Amino acid sequence: MRLVALQVAVVVAFAALAVGFWYLQIVQGAKYEEMAANNFQRTLALRAPRGVLYDRNGKVLVENRSAYTVSIVREHSTDLDRTVQLLSEVAGLDAGDVRQVVDRRRNEPIYRPIVVIEDASLAQVAAIAARRLDFELPDVVIEEVPTRQYPTDALAAHLFGYVGEASDAQLGDGVTRGAIVGQSGVERVYNKLLMGQDGERRVVVNSLGREIRTEEEIPPREGRRVQLTVDYDLQKAAEDGFKHAGFNGAALVMDPRNGEVLTYVSLPAYDPNDFAGGIDRATWASLNADTLRPLQNRAIQGRYSPGSTFKLVVATAALEEGLVTPDFKVNCPGGASFFGRYFLCHLKGGHGVVDMRHAIEKSCNVYFYTLGNMLGVDRIHKWADKLGMTGKTGIDLPNEQESIVPSTAWKLERTGERWYPGETISVSIGQGQVSVTPAAMAMMITTIANGGTRVTPHIIRAVDEGGGWRMATPPAVAERVAFRPETLAALHDGLWMAVNAAGTAGRARIPGRDVAGKTGTAQVISIQGRQAARGNTGRDLRDHGWFVFFAPKDTPQLAGVIFGEHNEHGYLGAPIAKHVIETYFAKQEGRPLPVLPPKPAPAPTPRLEPDPDSPPVLLETQPVALNQSAVGSRQ
Amino acid sequence: MFERRLYHHIDWGLLVALLALCGIGLANIYSATGGWTGVVETQIYGIALGVVALVVCLSIDYRSLADKSHLIYIGIAALLLYVLFFGAVRGGSRRWIDLGAFNLQPSEFAKAALALVLAKLFGESRRGVVTRVDLLIAGALTAVPVFLVARQPDLGTAVTLIPVAFAVAYVAGMPMRALGVLALVAALAAPAVWTFALQDYQRERISTFLDPAQDARGAGYQQIQARITAGSGGLWGKGFQEGTQGQLRFLPVAHNDFIFSVLAEEHGFAGVLAALGLYLFVILRALEAARLAKDRLGAYLVLGVLACFTFQVIYNITMSAGLAPVKGLTLPLMSYGGSSMVATLAGFGLILNVRMRRFTN
Repeated sequence: MRLVALQVAVVVAFAALAVGFWYLQIVQGAKYEEMAANNFQRTLALRAPRGVLYDRNGKVLVENRSAYTVSIVREHSTDLDRTVQLLSEVAGLDAGDVRQVVDRRRNEPIYRPIVVIEDASLAQVAAIAARRLDFELPDVVIEEVPTRQYPTDALAAHLFGYVGEASDAQLGDGVTRGAIVGQSGVERVYNKLLMGQDGERRVVVNSLGREIRTEEEIPPREGRRVQLTVDYDLQKAAEDGFKHAGFNGAALVMDPRNGEVLTYVSLPAYDPNDFAGGIDRATWASLNADTLRPLQNRAIQGRYSPGSTFKLVVATAALEEGLVTPDFKVNCPGGASFFGRYFLCHLKGGHGVVDMRHAIEKSCNVYFYTLGNMLGVDRIHKWADKLGMTGKTGIDLPNEQESIVPSTAWKLERTGERWYPGETISVSIGQGQVSVTPAAMAMMITTIANGGTRVTPHIIRAVDEGGGWRMATPPAVAERVAFRPETLAALHDGLWMAVNAAGTAGRARIPGRDVAGKTGTAQVISIQGRQAARGNTGRDLRDHGWFVFFAPKDTPQLAGVIFGEHNEHGYLGAPIAKHVIETYFAKQEGRPLPVLPPKPAPAPTPRLEPDPDSPPVLLETQPVALNQSAVGSRQ
Repeated sequence: MFERRLYHHIDWGLLVALLALCGIGLANIYSATGGWTGVVETQIYGIALGVVALVVCLSIDYRSLADKSHLIYIGIAALLLYVLFFGAVRGGSRRWIDLGAFNLQPSEFAKAALALVLAKLFGESRRGVVTRVDLLIAGALTAVPVFLVARQPDLGTAVTLIPVAFAVAYVAGMPMRALGVLALVAALAAPAVWTFALQDYQRERISTFLDPAQDARGAGYQQIQARITAGSGGLWGKGFQEGTQGQLRFLPVAHNDFIFSVLAEEHGFAGVLAALGLYLFVILRALEAARLAKDRLGAYLVLGVLACFTFQVIYNITMSAGLAPVKGLTLPLMSYGGSSMVATLAGFGLILNVRMRRFTN
């Protein structure tokens, strides 16, 4: 009897076991299968190299190099604090910083590596590897990852931009946490092309976390190769030119026929390599604190008053509106009265009777006061717009600033006040409320160079999406205005004379190349303000200098702007332009590239030559009622 | 001594099932340890030695063995005592006698010895009913080896001795009232045992069992891994030597205590059912031997041996599925371990012995 009970008990027990296993293996099987897979499989990301950037001739500009990252995998940590301590000691880091990095990513899955050193030095790698062999740092891994390699001398830094870990806002659309994305410049605008596709490696690990074998490897797909429109040699020539001249600034040189950017400079620059391996806090802080603002992309983000270069806009407007012909003459006695005020020309004795060509050559203020007064501010605005000097140029770089050329509507909207005609006088020589970026200036001179076609500056030339180079579609031409032949002839002649005759830009003269150009000076502060501020401000109050140019005069192949920050004289930019132009033609004709002469003696003080672009001196003949105007306020 | 006609009464079915289980165990040890290793060889020697022990235990009439049961019992007790002082230490406990070529684990043999002595006690009781004196004597006889083994410490093996006493006493006609009293005493004693008798690691194991996640990297690790190992096997398993959990050592000592998890992982629910079926067949077949036994001595002997075996099988398999606290309890016939193999097969020698001699006087 009791034996039967035992039999039954045993059968019931085994049935219970069978049910238990059925539940475990069949009902919950999938769940445990996944857990088992998580146990022994690890998916390691293989970072894709970003696409290589080439210049227009196929020279490599930005490539990738191998960097070593050092990470902590908490899954294998026995004592995380000890690891942090020891790792910091071995690698020469601040333990507090390392701890902070680890703490910040505390909530991520423990098998995901936390990168502690982005771009470890070989010494660090060696020191850590030695400790790893001793099993002192079992939870530290060293990985080789492709990292961006930029030219060593920060060449074209603001053009390339820089990369960094994706911010929360940048996630999605193929960008995962921890991914490296372009944060500025071409890297940012063409990030999608350049980024490539990260691969992954699925490995089998044992219970100690040691890799046993690779199960599957999806190789990373390198980002697309991208060819830029810039020319390395011209870029270098421009930057060398700035170095040689000894000031900062910006330059933008394009092919006026199609808007391809050949040279793009903004100085001072940062070293994009600092960002490639994750920028450290000290470098970032110093870049931000630098009073020279190296992070500002001056060519599209800096706004300055255009000074005398703006006279070209006024000249174009007056000719195209049919108000005057190039033969229109004005007598310059050294100044003129408008609206009860006397506006000076920069040449004390006056230029005498000048026509349009000579007015441009000599940069005669009185001539352009007169034209400006005839035009009115709105027609000046209209033609500034047609020349591409207002708003954004549409260049394929991020965070471009809008350039401003005032109009009556603009002023009314902005200040609620009507426009005073007296303000137009100073606008007509590029002072007052005109405020434009170097890129806008390049647009203006390019449009004048090519006869009225407003090409959009662009940087990308071709993309290799796997099937070889494919030319990028250039952006649509914004506007095509065919200038009257006599307008063009007058403008081009005047600009040619400014360089090749008795003008202000003789330093850009290249025999046989017919360089055309115009200098300008942008006031940083009024003369009176300067006197008031003398000695008690740390700001650099010296004027900025402009030089816009194109060459050759009749069939322009390149056009652009040199902006010299606080260099005081526009004509100091001319040698930079000259060096770029010479390089361009030397290259075209297969001659050796020109070399800059050894640095000249420091800039002469006192001034040896009068600067024709100096801001006009205003003589008051009556009490001023226009104290709202820019001219008035300068008084 | 071995009469020819007895040969025909050997339970060949049971024997084949036993050897099949040994074979399955061997295959899984082979898989879990990653091929032909010393472990596999040792296990083969263990099986061979076990078969010899089985034949020996089969050959000698169980009645004459029972007559000597007190001597065997005393001998084993002496060995247990010896181990306690001079045994080889491994993993923090003294369980083995180092005999050079192999280690002997006397506690494994205590099971059969206890079954023998208890069968003798109840089976030869003239009165035919179980008296309190009998129960007390049985309790004392059980308590001695339980205490000695528990001191090694090897709580797992010690606990497996208790079912021997219960099974024999139960079938011998122990009043249910006594069972109730014992259960009550156990319930009342539990807190005291928890506080005083258990070692820290044992307490930890039990509390971990109740909530394995509280210590996923420590004591709960094996239990979680056992559950993952068995659960991930699915219906048909991952295949021989394809189990990731066992092969990559996420499950420690897989060839030993968790051999059934390895089987569950690599051969799935199907393999589990096959193995469970074999064990059930073995147990029911042995119970049949108890029913057929010529005398009470034989029946009790079978039950004593079987109780210990069954308890261990059920507990180990439950543990293999991560459904019971982790104890150092092997799965008889399948787990790696020479002493266990020899003792188990010797025990089945006794069971076969009883069945074989059911017609002899």
